[in-house]
Amino acid sequence: MSRLFFVLPRLGRGVFTIWFAVTVTFLLLRLLPGDPALAVASPNMTEEARAALLTQYGLDQPLIVQYGLYMWQMLQGNFGVSFTQSVPVMDVLLQRLPWTLLLTFTALVITVLVGIPLGVLAASRRGKVLDKIIQVIGVTGQSIFVPSIGVLLLFVFGLSLKWLPIGGAYDTDAYGMDWYGSVARHLILPAVSLMLIQLGSYVLTMRSTLIEALGEDYVTLAKANGLPYRRILWKHALRNALLPTTTLIGLQLGFLVGGAVLTETVFAYPGIGRGIYEAVTQLDFPVLQGAFLLLAITVVVANMLTDIVYGFLDPRVKTS
Amino acid sequence: MHNHSTRRGTMRTGIRRGRALTLVTAAAAITFVLSACAPSAPEASSGPVEAGNDTLTIATTTDVVNYNPLIGNSRSDYWVTNLMYPHLLSIADDGKKEPQLATEWGYVDELTGYYEIRDDMTWSDGEPVTAEDVAWTMNAVKKDAPSGTFYGQLANFVSAEAVSDTRVEITLASPDTSIVEEIGFWGNVVPQHVFEKAESVATFANNGSDGGWVSAGPYLLTDVQVGQSYSMDRVDEYPLVEGGTPVAAKVVYRVFPDVNTEILALQSGEVDVIANALPPAQVEQLKATDGITVEEVVGLGYAHMTYNMTNPDLAKTEVRQALAHAVDYDAIRTVVLQGQAVSTGSSPLMPVLSDYYDKSIKEYDFDVDKSRELMESAGYTADASGNFPVSFRLIYSLQDSVTSQWAQLVKDSAAEAGITIELQGTERNTYLAQTNDGDYDIYAGNFAIMDDPVTNFTLSYLPGGAINYTLVDDPELNALIAKAAVTADSDEKISIMRDAAKIVHDEVYDNIMYTQNLYFAHSSKWEGFVTKPSELLSIVNPISVASAHKTAAQ
Repeated sequence: MSRLFFVLPRLGRGVFTIWFAVTVTFLLLRLLPGDPALAVASPNMTEEARAALLTQYGLDQPLIVQYGLYMWQMLQGNFGVSFTQSVPVMDVLLQRLPWTLLLTFTALVITVLVGIPLGVLAASRRGKVLDKIIQVIGVTGQSIFVPSIGVLLLFVFGLSLKWLPIGGAYDTDAYGMDWYGSVARHLILPAVSLMLIQLGSYVLTMRSTLIEALGEDYVTLAKANGLPYRRILWKHALRNALLPTTTLIGLQLGFLVGGAVLTETVFAYPGIGRGIYEAVTQLDFPVLQGAFLLLAITVVVANMLTDIVYGFLDPRVKTS
Repeated sequence: MHNHSTRRGTMRTGIRRGRALTLVTAAAAITFVLSACAPSAPEASSGPVEAGNDTLTIATTTDVVNYNPLIGNSRSDYWVTNLMYPHLLSIADDGKKEPQLATEWGYVDELTGYYEIRDDMTWSDGEPVTAEDVAWTMNAVKKDAPSGTFYGQLANFVSAEAVSDTRVEITLASPDTSIVEEIGFWGNVVPQHVFEKAESVATFANNGSDGGWVSAGPYLLTDVQVGQSYSMDRVDEYPLVEGGTPVAAKVVYRVFPDVNTEILALQSGEVDVIANALPPAQVEQLKATDGITVEEVVGLGYAHMTYNMTNPDLAKTEVRQALAHAVDYDAIRTVVLQGQAVSTGSSPLMPVLSDYYDKSIKEYDFDVDKSRELMESAGYTADASGNFPVSFRLIYSLQDSVTSQWAQLVKDSAAEAGITIELQGTERNTYLAQTNDGDYDIYAGNFAIMDDPVTNFTLSYLPGGAINYTLVDDPELNALIAKAAVTADSDEKISIMRDAAKIVHDEVYDNIMYTQNLYFAHSSKWEGFVTKPSELLSIVNPISVASAHKTAAQ
């Protein structure tokens, strides 16, 4: 029962967040300068033909009518038809979403797997050379521009060493189980790029929270009881220090999806980020609305899961 | 204690074994599911061996948005659909139209045009390509008004009729001596038996969901991996290419949104051709790269500035002339375009249109003293700093990196002449909206293809013209354009257009900066490309792609 009380409010908050994101997206798109007819019509099209296109897109209706219609259709699972491609929005998005999810979750996992141990290592060697090196890596990673690191990685590992492919999500001539190998090889460089720009946050957060935890009384008591330092570090201090890092995972997921737009562009990765970019240039409102809805759902669900994990890591959260 | 410990150990081992078994079972299940999800290898093709079994991989920066050539506007849409849906006419290096599906074209009388088409073309499903397909396509576009370029050419078109299997006649609303060539050049022909099932050609996705595509070009789209690749198989009979069969067995368009990645892919051998024109800064480097060949193609468009004549200052001819003389055109072509652009003599009749080009029209000199004199003769007095009391807002698209660079040079050189230019670079959609609303003093941009002077002048300089960004209404110019539009004699037409171009030049109704030569890169392992003017046709036009083959050394 207590678990239900823990989950239900979060579920309600998630639904509200999604509605808010959908509404803001709907309004923002219509505040953009220009209109979809201008973006897609050839320059020699007449005003009458452009007006006819707007009617075809349903954009000649008052804003409130458009909004009501959109919400009603969305509740029925109808996300509309792409202005430019004349196919259902979900068809457009679902072809791309799996690749973005694969890329962002792979990047998230390897960032956590690399970032937390590095943070622990830095905290345990506080003030020493290794700590300083790790801090420099962390800070540098945060200030790297994705396309720069992307092109550099492609140049070194794709062109010079020829170890990894340049661009795409898989080889077009790979089939069966080879296809999975191809997917994995194509995933390495974009995932490493995303990891490099996210790593600093995890390393530095982990380091500072662990240093704080290592100064707590229970750590002094454990030391006085003769527990080995490694056990104190990894078993006791780390668990408490993990809480802010867990929160960071949820918060960073949104940024990770945002960062994927640039990564997908540089690595020619067929994800939803690129689809959004293309839809923005063409002012394809239905695709943009659908894409932001899917991303909002992804981030909200990830944050809810983070909250739930947080509750398991710190039982006080569930009871408070 | 010992026993307890052993029992716990046994239990842990049991749990580990159980977990291991579960993991192995799960892994096997995942492998099975993944195997089922992975794409299967296609069956071996039985294409003709003499035509070669190679795959030509072409890089592009954008996805195909629309497979319906009557709607599609983007370059990738054009390149891919162009390999399936033929045009009636193509264009030669001198800007003259040349046969493709049509073998002859012209006018029966003032209000009737005609095309004679080949009788040896078939759709890939075995149906013949007939005059019915041609007439149906034109009538459907006129009726449904799709957003592509084709519809824009049909202002004077009333209807088309197939008068025999190989002859189409079109009826015009008013005399128009450009329309037959313009429709033939811009319009694709689509299969009536496929497209007529759609409610409207303006909304028909043609995305292959109803049993795939049908092609009368050299290749047929067979596989789409959105965001990644578009694979096309050879159509064995394509009479427009030498030998009657395309050489490469497959063509794969791969999407690389970032040009730098695209170039790395060419250098590494992952792709054989880059379809889009190279950025000027990359041309020399790639020319010097082993294993890469760079082809030069003449441009059919131009970069220009127009001056909004609803602004009282810019309504004065002297002010427009002063602005035109305050631009260092040579510096722009040398520094920004790296010497890869040529002057048109500040005329909208570009050198590539060799019949129309008028050498007597000279480019505006870069002469700030002359510019100042013109401003003074227009009634302006410079202040103590030498600045005239005028300021103009110049708009351009930030997505256009070349224009973004030369806009700064234009501002700097105008400042030397005491004229203040305020730059306003915006993202493309804002720029389009500003352009549409006439919300600018100076418009900077470019057109990719201006293949027909009369059509170009009609759109650019007649009142209400879709791209009349100067908002000019000059009765003398209007009369010349109207006369040219109904003049059938080509020499007379050229003479009229030269007179019109001289007015545009002298009155600075348009300031044409340059026409850009285009450069395209491909692997030196491939040869046989047949270049055509413009980025749309370049080395990826249907004849070129169908003719390309690996070098003998490969």
